[in-house]
Amino acid sequence: MNRDTSPFRPASTGASPTPKHASLTASTNLRYSLTRKSIYDRHLNRTKTSELSKSAFAFLFGEMVQHAQKKVYGVQDLEKKLNQHGYAVGQRFLELLLWREGRTAKRETRILGILQFISHSLYRAIFQKPADTLEKVRENEDEYMISDNDPLVNSYISVPKEMSQLNCAAFIAGIIEAVLDGHCFPAKVTAHTAPSDMWPGRTVFLIKFEPEVLEREGLRHGST
Amino acid sequence: MPADWDIWAVSDWVTKPGEWRNEVMEEGPEELSTGSRKRERKKRRQARETGFKCSALLCSEPRPRCCRWYHIVAMVVYAVLILNKAGGLIFQRDFNPGLQKLTSNDYLILAGTFHGVHAITSQISPTNETGASGLEVLESENFVMRCFQTLTGTKFLVFAEPRQPNLDVVVRRVYELYSDYVMKNPFYQIEMPIRSEGFERHLSAYIKPHQ
Amino acid sequence: MVVFSFFIFDRHCECIYLRQWLDATTPSPAQPLSRPVTASSAATNTTSAVEKPPAGNKLSMAEQAKLVFGVIFSLRNMVKKLCGPDDSFLCYRTGQYKLHYYETITSLRFVMLTDIRTENLKSSLHQIYVNLYVEYVVKNPLSPVEHPGGEGVNNEMFELGIDSFVRTIP
Repeated sequence: MNRDTSPFRPASTGASPTPKHASLTASTNLRYSLTRKSIYDRHLNRTKTSELSKSAFAFLFGEMVQHAQKKVYGVQDLEKKLNQHGYAVGQRFLELLLWREGRTAKRETRILGILQFISHSLYRAIFQKPADTLEKVRENEDEYMISDNDPLVNSYISVPKEMSQLNCAAFIAGIIEAVLDGHCFPAKVTAHTAPSDMWPGRTVFLIKFEPEVLEREGLRHGST
Repeated sequence: MPADWDIWAVSDWVTKPGEWRNEVMEEGPEELSTGSRKRERKKRRQARETGFKCSALLCSEPRPRCCRWYHIVAMVVYAVLILNKAGGLIFQRDFNPGLQKLTSNDYLILAGTFHGVHAITSQISPTNETGASGLEVLESENFVMRCFQTLTGTKFLVFAEPRQPNLDVVVRRVYELYSDYVMKNPFYQIEMPIRSEGFERHLSAYIKPHQ
Repeated sequence: MVVFSFFIFDRHCECIYLRQWLDATTPSPAQPLSRPVTASSAATNTTSAVEKPPAGNKLSMAEQAKLVFGVIFSLRNMVKKLCGPDDSFLCYRTGQYKLHYYETITSLRFVMLTDIRTENLKSSLHQIYVNLYVEYVVKNPLSPVEHPGGEGVNNEMFELGIDSFVRTIP
């Protein structure tokens, strides 16, 4: 999330403090300007190209993982929780992303289109780079894979041996799942570690669409 | 070109000994030819004449001996140890043969002893300055050890061949890797032994075994 | 070069000679230091000599000698453990001072504290051993074999020798 961090801060313009509130907080040295120009009043596009410290994000994400670890039983449960966190972020982020695309935004109706959207537009907006590969699973009609050689969320994370199944990129899987859901392509997205020699942290996001998606695809666009 | 740019380039170079060739390529279209070598020499001479001390490179060598080539050629690090603020050993790793093999228990004792000695060395300082630091460099016939204590009390010990000029850079880089791959890892419990695969990987990539 | 202090420890781990040069940069007390402070003179007139150090938080010299010995003993053992019995500890440096160490085969230990810019003084300490200690202490017929409390070491010749030697160290 080098460039755009909007999921991690409230992006609504409605939450501006009232002048009364501003004068109250001014005495406590909080950064509210008296002209009501707090960060909540900024234009949504203003932070589109601004950058965020990777360290700050790493610490925040680390705390999130630790928090998620508190009330879980096992790795599966933890991944599910991270996925839920990501889902909440993804829902909001999709809205912002489409709003920022403006007139050029369009609703994807085909599976391939939405996957392209995820691996290019979405990935670029979050991580400033496209995903590394987009593949179809040969054996299964309803499964696709997006791979990321070095997921940003995992760059400082070393999973202990006893939890080797865990991949914290489940958070990104959650974001992807939310974006798919937002486009009415219900699916299950999971993150799996698939190390290669060059990339020890390579992660594959496995996308398994619900049957009705494939059914619709067949009806609308013909079974090709 | 601003004068201090030169020093930055040099120190950058020093921190990444493996990548020096690439950096030359990036600087301009010239290959690593006699021309660019000459340019390097000129830059170094300029830095000397404008009065840059080699301390800008975190290097304790007298200036004439210290140059890029020198820094790159010699770097044999024997081992790296990390002590937590209570003097417990939380990381130990050998990179090159040169030190005796000790049992893990011996290492723990050694770490504890050193922790105590470090505290005493700051007490017996003969000068009246306040905030005396403890032991920083230890020399023996066969190795030199650089100890760096962070403000939080963690100690990094780097053992290397004697007369290593750029040990400060190595220690600093180890500290950097520690704060990246250990402290930012949500599965690391603070003050506990480090079992971070990312840290080990990056550390051994930085301190390559000497051929 | 600034030499802060100089210690000799014998094979019974006892400090047999101790000498301190006051740092010229720090404000020294007004009293003139006609005779150097040594462990033996400190032992004879305990009232004045031991509490000589100028700063209030400073350790007394006898205590400092004990701490110095503790440090060199531990570091020496540490070095021997890490690098085998052939290796020997040479010196260490902190931000404020540098400690040089030289051990003879007879387990006599010479320690010198200097400022941090000084090069390694192993050869100088060896010179002190050969040219001063052996000449003026060992060969002195009046000096005992052992030196409890520094007896026999603090003779005038040795002290003058040390003084002039320290001045000649570059």
